[in-house]
Amino acid sequence: MATVSHEVAHELEAFIVQEARLADESKYQDWEDLWADDAVYWVPLREGDDPTKTVSHLYDNRTRLATRIRQLKTGYRYSQVPISGLRRVVSNYEYTEQEDGRYTVEANFYLPEYSIQSIHDFRIWSGRVTYQLSRRGDSFQIHMKKIVLVNGAEPIPTLAFLI
Amino acid sequence: MTKKIDYKALIQADKIHGSVYTADEIYEDELEKLFYSSWVFIGHDSEIKNAGDYITREIGRSSIIMVRGKDNDIKVLVNRCSHRGNMLCNESKGNKRNFTCPYHGWVFGLNGDLLDVSYPGGFDKPLDSLNMQGLVVDSYRGFVFACFKEPTVSFDDYLGNAKKLIDRSCEMSPTGKIDLKAGWIRQHFDANWKMLPENDTDGYHVNYVHQSFVMAIDSQYGEFVGAEDSIKGVVKDWGNGHTEIDFSAGYVKPLDWLGSTLEKSKTYVDNMRAAYGEEKADKILFDGPPHACIFPNLFLGEMNIVIFQPTGTTSSVQWSTPMFLEGAEELDFKLLRQSEGALGPAAFLLADDASIAERAQKALLAGDPWCDLSRGLSRETKDDDGVITSHMTDEASNRGFWHHYRSVMLGDN
Repeated sequence: MATVSHEVAHELEAFIVQEARLADESKYQDWEDLWADDAVYWVPLREGDDPTKTVSHLYDNRTRLATRIRQLKTGYRYSQVPISGLRRVVSNYEYTEQEDGRYTVEANFYLPEYSIQSIHDFRIWSGRVTYQLSRRGDSFQIHMKKIVLVNGAEPIPTLAFLI
Repeated sequence: MTKKIDYKALIQADKIHGSVYTADEIYEDELEKLFYSSWVFIGHDSEIKNAGDYITREIGRSSIIMVRGKDNDIKVLVNRCSHRGNMLCNESKGNKRNFTCPYHGWVFGLNGDLLDVSYPGGFDKPLDSLNMQGLVVDSYRGFVFACFKEPTVSFDDYLGNAKKLIDRSCEMSPTGKIDLKAGWIRQHFDANWKMLPENDTDGYHVNYVHQSFVMAIDSQYGEFVGAEDSIKGVVKDWGNGHTEIDFSAGYVKPLDWLGSTLEKSKTYVDNMRAAYGEEKADKILFDGPPHACIFPNLFLGEMNIVIFQPTGTTSSVQWSTPMFLEGAEELDFKLLRQSEGALGPAAFLLADDASIAERAQKALLAGDPWCDLSRGLSRETKDDDGVITSHMTDEASNRGFWHHYRSVMLGDN
């Protein structure tokens, strides 16, 4: 584990900002294209949960991630028809480089959602996000994105958008 | 209650009045009659394996504690200090030697008995006059139910045919025991709690609410969304408000319900045949687990256990956890992922059910207040035990829920 240079940190942040915008704007295909074949897209209930023993809000491998995107793209995923208004802020970045050359980026996020599928409700989502990234071409690919909500173990409303 | 609610008029054989979902006075009446005076599901004994293990749950507005005592006895206690009303446990689970109130230090045993009062010099009452409030508790195959008051219906009479449904869940395990240890997802709905059990045994909505899932992936549910005469599943009204979608007649091969095959799940299949004999095991492996609601707040959701929690006239919480099987731990990973796929706020299925329920909650306030519930009335059949069966798209299951609901709310039960 090593810290990364200023230049690499800047590149990683730019990638995450792009990923956040694609998720905010429900650009499903562009967002899916960021993922590597060994993808893990994971929202546990709590920090420290073991996904082989504990249920998660979602724990997608590459195949299930593709199913999720296909479902959203049908136009009949009622929990995202119409799509939510989303604008997240990602901050407090911490970067490390693994021995295998992959990067780990941790950050806090603050995500206002305006939900308009049933009741019209302004919601705040917040938590800690951890990415495992590696270089692909002149950008990066996502191996893992783990999102630990501050209230993941409490009752939470529909979470059908890309978090 | 300022005026008497006319449940006979609001709930009829073929229709129900929308106010049952929207009226605050009906919600208050339900808390009193269904949740504070009748049997409700609390939890499963596998959640509290050791002496001192406890979980907390919400029944109506009451936080309650289910705890295993030193004598292995399970108690269900109101989570409230008998002194000045403070909450004794504010964690969802844990292990304790006793319950100590953080406010003035009163100490209660795991059985709810008041053991010690701090600075006893100024306190004259006998300790046993201020024990924690306990609920009447009974259980069937580890499923723990409780009643706040002395029940007017015996536990056996309340469960009725639901015992057969619980048997079917337990018999998915080669040892006959389930193990709830994967944690609970809690999903908030801005909808009345009754929409949850209704929807869970409504076979009619699958092809509509879940068409995006059917379009996105091949699953066992694909066998239940064809033309009307090709759907082999049925709905059942087992009496006492217990209802089911029975998918078994629609499955085309063993382990369809698990998305697996006899070859892929060989260890499980071998252990089941060793436990139950080949004939019975193969029937269990073909038919799969029940998809059934036990009135009022428990859902045997195939390989999941689900609890319905009312939190207000227009809000509710659905709890869900995968149903792990003792003696079949090799299935745990698959059951976790299957549970996440179906249930919870991010799931392929329940996310959409929530949005649809919330749309209904809003629209029920508009225009003609009646909801039609007549589908299948002319083709449902009743067997010698009084169990009603009908086509999977029929509303026989929902009529069963409402028929029993009405009798409890009228005080007939």
